[in-house]
Amino acid sequence: MFDPIAYFFANVLLLLYKFLGNQTVWAIAVLTLLINLLVLPLTLRQQKSSRKMQEFQPEIEKLQKKYAKDKERLSQEQMKLYKEAGINPMAGCLPLLIQMPIWFGLIGAIRYCIPSTPFELFRFSQHIYKWLPGVVGLVPLQSTFLGMDLGQPPNPVQWWSYSLPILVLATSWLQQKLLTPPSVGDDQSQAATMNRQMQVMMPLMFMFFTLQYATGLSIYFIISNVIRLVQYFLVQRSRDGAEEKGKAKAKAKT
Amino acid sequence: MKQSWIQRWPITLVVLSVLLMSVSGCAGGARPMSWTGLTVVDEMVYAPDLEQFRVLNAADGEPVWVFPKSTEDERRGVFYVTPAVDEKHVIVASQVPASGFFSQAKNVVWALERDTGTLLWRFDEAGGQYVEGGVVGGGLFIIGNSDGNVYALDVETGTPRWVFETGHRVWATPLIVSDTVYVGSMDRHLYSLNLSDGQVQWDFSTLGAFASEPAMWNDTLYIGAFDDKLYAVDALTGAERWHFAGENWFWGDVAVHDGTIYATDVNGNVHAVDAETGEQIWHQALDAPLRAGPVLTEDGSQMFVGSENGTLYAMDTSDGFVMWRAENDKAQILSPPVVSGSNVYVALLYGEARIQALHVDNGREIWVHPPAVEAAANE
Repeated sequence: MFDPIAYFFANVLLLLYKFLGNQTVWAIAVLTLLINLLVLPLTLRQQKSSRKMQEFQPEIEKLQKKYAKDKERLSQEQMKLYKEAGINPMAGCLPLLIQMPIWFGLIGAIRYCIPSTPFELFRFSQHIYKWLPGVVGLVPLQSTFLGMDLGQPPNPVQWWSYSLPILVLATSWLQQKLLTPPSVGDDQSQAATMNRQMQVMMPLMFMFFTLQYATGLSIYFIISNVIRLVQYFLVQRSRDGAEEKGKAKAKAKT
Repeated sequence: MKQSWIQRWPITLVVLSVLLMSVSGCAGGARPMSWTGLTVVDEMVYAPDLEQFRVLNAADGEPVWVFPKSTEDERRGVFYVTPAVDEKHVIVASQVPASGFFSQAKNVVWALERDTGTLLWRFDEAGGQYVEGGVVGGGLFIIGNSDGNVYALDVETGTPRWVFETGHRVWATPLIVSDTVYVGSMDRHLYSLNLSDGQVQWDFSTLGAFASEPAMWNDTLYIGAFDDKLYAVDALTGAERWHFAGENWFWGDVAVHDGTIYATDVNGNVHAVDAETGEQIWHQALDAPLRAGPVLTEDGSQMFVGSENGTLYAMDTSDGFVMWRAENDKAQILSPPVVSGSNVYVALLYGEARIQALHVDNGREIWVHPPAVEAAANE
């Protein structure tokens, strides 16, 4: 289903590998960065929506106190508030869903370029863009990194390879925690429940996948999460800077 | 109204179910790590058939023995690589899947007694999966592994005699000629090693990975690479004699007969090339990707090529004319067919029939395995 996207990304990965001195991890890192730039508008929208949710926390808390005994009414009032404020409570999930084909394509690309079975390699052999400069003969990419085989799942022989899924779990959890709209108190609305579950389950799922699949995927997940965290903090800093400037201006006027 | 845990955490339940299914192995059946390949020796077909390794009578497909006896015995793993057969042994590899999160799949070489299928020894020290089979020579069984090593095992005991480390996966079957082993690696080198101790005599490097077994004719090795080229290399010195450019990777083994090289590239082209000069004699484009190389009849007049779309092509070696074709819906032919006497035997991947015997003259089906497929087709 995502194969055409995967073939495209795999060819970009080959090109990057070629121009980055045949360094697989660097090629994955740069491709991940490029794709993050591509989906930046969606990510920013997701973060903006998350911030808006945070701003409305006091209002939601008030509603929770007011309708503590009537959950149905609470839910209705919350939805009303969201609607009036132009907040989409699912905004934390929707950009993620829209980006899914891109991420699956990228995962496919890594599996094609650092294959663990010959089937993946054979399939990819007919989809290499031969017109790209210097890509002939590049596949399969060099697959050893810090003594680990990037084409194999973590295993007891290379015991240190288990550190990668743990890093995936940690960075995914941090990312989810910062980017998902926080729920307030005992918020029982469907959106809040969904968000809470996503916060726990997504990092676990990512860790599970990276335990089962090639460690090259772990590298991608870690780099991707770190990029998003850096992005989050940069946006946060520029927002704080803008707010301080605004305050300073207001103070100067008075 | 208070919601139950199940109502509050539906996603959690779904995810946990998927995780549990995957870990317990319920999410899929036996899956090979590579294509299954056949060996035919003395009227017997030796066939890794996923859950079991089986030996069939070449004439009628009747079973002779299987290993393990029961498909319930999952400790033996999934059998797939092309077996090596000598006077006493049948040597094949399997992958025993991991049994949990923190366990690792075991890749095992099994040596079985050729006449009975009794287990003689096993070797499970390689760190990666086997993709192609090994060869027997000089009292050793030599096989490459995805961990980048070439293993030489004592054919009687399975004890490693030497291990040669390359820079990438070894997905090619080695070739033994007298006291030398020739083996290609994904590290883009073709190595010539001493059979007795694994010491390097020479290595030949290119831009592309090697994943096929070289063929030898007149002291020259012929081998295709993933840089879209077919190479002729001096077997004594490792010097290049010529190369021939195809359209895409040469992955299948090449066939040599009477001064002509026959090779396939993965785009579906079959090439006949002059072994002395590297000049193209003829070229035939088939309509499907080709993983495996061609196989010739004993007199070299006819050749067989299996394709990814499940079609077996019988071609005239003088001009590449397609004499007949046998189609198999939903199946793939990714390992080379085997010609023995008047029959050609094919391993079909993902098909209802997994092994097929056809007549070389016209492609008439002689038998298939499992026989239930044949019976259903005749009803």
